[in-house]
Amino acid sequence: MDSEHIHRLLEKYWKCETTLEEEEQLRRYFQQSDPPETLRDIAPLFQHLQESRQTEIVDPTFTKKVLGKLATRNKATQRWLYNTMRIAAGVLVLVLAVWLIRIEVRKTDPSPTADTYSDPEIAFEETKKALLMISKSFGRAEEQARKLNLFNEAQEKVRQDDEPNEPDTRM
Amino acid sequence: MNIATFEKAILPVKDKLYRFALKLLSSPDDAKDVVQEVLMRVWNNQFNAEEVRNWEAWCMCMTRNLALDRLRASSRKRSDTIEADMRLVNDDLTPDRSAELSDSLETVRLIIDALPDKQRQVMHLRDVEGYSYQEICSILELDMNQVKVTLFRARNTVREKMLKIDAYGL
Repeated sequence: MDSEHIHRLLEKYWKCETTLEEEEQLRRYFQQSDPPETLRDIAPLFQHLQESRQTEIVDPTFTKKVLGKLATRNKATQRWLYNTMRIAAGVLVLVLAVWLIRIEVRKTDPSPTADTYSDPEIAFEETKKALLMISKSFGRAEEQARKLNLFNEAQEKVRQDDEPNEPDTRM
Repeated sequence: MNIATFEKAILPVKDKLYRFALKLLSSPDDAKDVVQEVLMRVWNNQFNAEEVRNWEAWCMCMTRNLALDRLRASSRKRSDTIEADMRLVNDDLTPDRSAELSDSLETVRLIIDALPDKQRQVMHLRDVEGYSYQEICSILELDMNQVKVTLFRARNTVREKMLKIDAYGL
């Protein structure tokens, strides 16, 4: 490669007009040939750039270490996925069981609240009836409770009468 | 993505990521840690693989962000660490001092390391890694014009300093 061509490439290089291929030509030129006097002052730059490209990670175990870490992380992710799937499967089985039991229970004992009234007036009358029934039941229960209470009071009184009078110890 | 695919598609980029991280951090151990972190994040992000069109640019961008975070966290200014070396490429460089520079490649390295952060990053991505302007735009989150201007300034600063050192050396 003639030095004229290299001079032209260098002019373009300083103006940042060179292509990547032309820059590669310059690096190769200064790497391989002994440059003429006019190019000698700038040669170390391209030699340095070429030399910089050769820098590598010198640690021979680096790749092994990285791959080892990746494998460990991969296993941890797999374990996490496996555990999550197990929990999800357990929850699914539980939900299914509850759902099936509910269906069975409904089949044997149909819910009394299944039917509703479409007419609001009839619904109101039915509600009134139901509340009246509850009220009557409460009244009856209260009457029974009063009787029981009377019985309890009488029993208490009889017990007090049966107990002997304690002697007076104050003397 | 399984480990075999990862090994084939992503791992070969590790040296590029390392060089870029090293350029930013100047510490091989820190650079290695950053690369490892980037690779782990790629692995964790694999389920979004379809969203990431250019894995390499994505990795480079991530490397840059993590390296800058690390620099900020350690509050270590990279330029401070090379301040002493910098004096030799400053404007008040004396012929005696420049004569001490026996290794010209080391001189170039010091000149490039002394560039402002953005210029150093753009120059590294273009001149060392050979990325297109478009790729550099996406890695550094800059627009095309900014990338070209930054590269122009970086190259010309390096050139001027090299010529100056050469003139003093004669």
